[in-house]
Amino acid sequence: MLSAAAFADGAVPDAPAVAPPDAMPVASPDAPAVVPPAATPAAAPEALPVVPSAAPPIVPPAPGPATGLADSAGLRATVFGTPPQNMAPMPSRVPLLEINIAMPWARPVPDVFWFDRNLRVWFSAQHGPAPLAIVISGTGSDGNTSKLSILRGALYGAGYHVLTVPSPTFPGFIVSASSTGVAGDLMQDSRDLYAALQQIIAHLPRRVRITDIDVLGYSLGGANAAVVKSIDARESKLKIHRAVMIDPPVSLFASVGRLDKLFAVSIGSGDDAIEMLYRKLYAQLANLYRASDRVQIDESFLLGAAASALRTDQEFSAAIALAFRLDLVDLFFAGDLYARTGVVVDPNHPPKVGDSLEETQRILRNKPFSEYFARVFAPYYLKQRPGSTSASLIADSRLDIIGDSLRGNPDYYAQANSDDLILDKRELTWLRDTLGSRIVVYDHGGHLGNIGERQQVSDMLDMLAGRWPGAAQ
Amino acid sequence: MKPAALAALLAVALGGCASQSVSIRSVPPENPAAENAAAAESAAAFAAAAALAAEGETDRDTREPKPAPPPITPADAPSMATYDPFERLNRFTYRFNARFDEAIFLPVANVYRRIPSPIRSGVHNFFGNLSEVDSVINYSLQWRLKLGLRSLGRFVINSTLGVGGLIDVAAKFKLPGAPTGASTTLAKWGVHPGPYLVIPLLGPSTLRDGFGFLADYGTSYAIDLGRIYRGNVSWWLGGTNAVDQRANIDFRYYSTGSPFEYENVRFLYVRKRLIEDAGLRGK
Repeated sequence: MLSAAAFADGAVPDAPAVAPPDAMPVASPDAPAVVPPAATPAAAPEALPVVPSAAPPIVPPAPGPATGLADSAGLRATVFGTPPQNMAPMPSRVPLLEINIAMPWARPVPDVFWFDRNLRVWFSAQHGPAPLAIVISGTGSDGNTSKLSILRGALYGAGYHVLTVPSPTFPGFIVSASSTGVAGDLMQDSRDLYAALQQIIAHLPRRVRITDIDVLGYSLGGANAAVVKSIDARESKLKIHRAVMIDPPVSLFASVGRLDKLFAVSIGSGDDAIEMLYRKLYAQLANLYRASDRVQIDESFLLGAAASALRTDQEFSAAIALAFRLDLVDLFFAGDLYARTGVVVDPNHPPKVGDSLEETQRILRNKPFSEYFARVFAPYYLKQRPGSTSASLIADSRLDIIGDSLRGNPDYYAQANSDDLILDKRELTWLRDTLGSRIVVYDHGGHLGNIGERQQVSDMLDMLAGRWPGAAQ
Repeated sequence: MKPAALAALLAVALGGCASQSVSIRSVPPENPAAENAAAAESAAAFAAAAALAAEGETDRDTREPKPAPPPITPADAPSMATYDPFERLNRFTYRFNARFDEAIFLPVANVYRRIPSPIRSGVHNFFGNLSEVDSVINYSLQWRLKLGLRSLGRFVINSTLGVGGLIDVAAKFKLPGAPTGASTTLAKWGVHPGPYLVIPLLGPSTLRDGFGFLADYGTSYAIDLGRIYRGNVSWWLGGTNAVDQRANIDFRYYSTGSPFEYENVRFLYVRKRLIEDAGLRGK
């Protein structure tokens, strides 16, 4: 297996791990109209400038989120999402293609990730020529989440072709398309995603006619969307028109730090805390089930059980923190394996398909993101980028790295909620100051809790179509 | 001929999907408008039921109160680690199942999903109706005669009024389906689930439930209702039943992309069964 150091300079391995070079079809002349010839498969991640322009100012994180970690309404919105009765009108039918595609620069697939060989994305095509909306998923998520389904419905109904793609922090992306295997660097991950998007768009069905390309994303995917657009502004491979960020973080590490804190506050730390939460939930479910007249546990029982298990702010916080932690476990494992940092994976004896990973998982579920940063991410990137420091790595994953574009270019937009637990007041102010009239901040919605809501969808569509007040025509 | 075809299918699954650089396949379309309407409806129904329960006016709670068993406490929860002595074999089978599902089972189920839904629900009801016989037998063995009677009633009504089981008329008469099987009977008799077991093509199970599955199949085979288990068409019908079952399960192997999926599925499955067992003892 190639070591991570082989990619130190961002070079592309010339031997594709998956498919022989001739197995990769070259884009035909009737490939989607908008794709320039330069975007054919020859394109791959290039050497990476670490910071695009002047080094951004390092802003120390401000204490506390905008409205406190335990804003009740925000926590509930985050867990439940948009109530069905508040949903924007949706089309009755959205066709769907599943595309599995191997990246020519893919690295050898580790044994335990045998199933993540190809990048998997979903595409909904309009019949005639139409603009393409690319939607990027949030931290650790694949390209077909329920949030993406909602956005797909809204965008398809408004006449877009819709391509939904996983987050660069999704294990399936890390294995099939990342050039590092170590997820979490905003610029590097977005570069990998940009290269992957070129591959995907070059291989869309021939009949698809694309008139324009816009990119959007939610949560971390929102930040990725804006950075992808800024990369494209220099490289012009896709000619992305507008970018819309939905509930983006401003500082990736500050936001996940808040989720770490939420975990510590609502669940605790150490194996005992997780075990206690599990035992409590088990007993609760078992008693509920016994009291019901059901003959088996099914979805409707679980929905009812969730309603009775989630009552206090602490319980809602625990649910949010746990969901994030489960994603982190996968990302941590992949990073440790690829970076050969040896936290849980012995670099010289990586686990094989038949090996038990239960103990590895037990160790990892106790580890916060700060430990991933300290023991995997920073050691890997400090070696890749001579002269960098932990502080500069953190600063590199702030939206500041494209601050000039966000300020000066009228094609960047954002939607945010003032009770979003991943942002603090200072960050929200930064977003407002930077984007000016091109951001809308809703009073309520928590983190992603108003996706699909009427106002959110209508504002999003206005932004994408250039109908937003102050938009460049 | 049939075994040869099956062997070929298995070889494809075992060998994994040939690594193509790009594959594009059409999957069932989404129906967001209808799904949203359904979600709104079920949310309203859920809120109404919750309000009713809060008032303590559930009319079905008219049976004589049984002595309540002591509540299950956090200390009663099984350890977070799962007993899995067959782990190596299980992991191999899990991977085989994942590949088989990806290469054959799921694509076929996706084609099946294109058939108009009235026809699919007819197929689903037909096989569901046949399994009522096994439910009647097992509810009797579990000494849950009321439920056994319900299954019997469903079988009689649906086989006649429901045109041989194609239409679930009984559900409209407030007799919704509540299938059971030999694994639940064994559980009711106090048989411990035993070690976790991944069954080829079928998926997660336990040693006890594996025997239960064999017993259910054996019962159906012995009764051979409508000669579908031993007749000339048994392969086709069995296959259709399997595809129909698959098409109704919303699960995709490794859609989480996680290297810990085996652990996660095992964790959830074993605890689900243990809670169902605990519920059985309280009823």
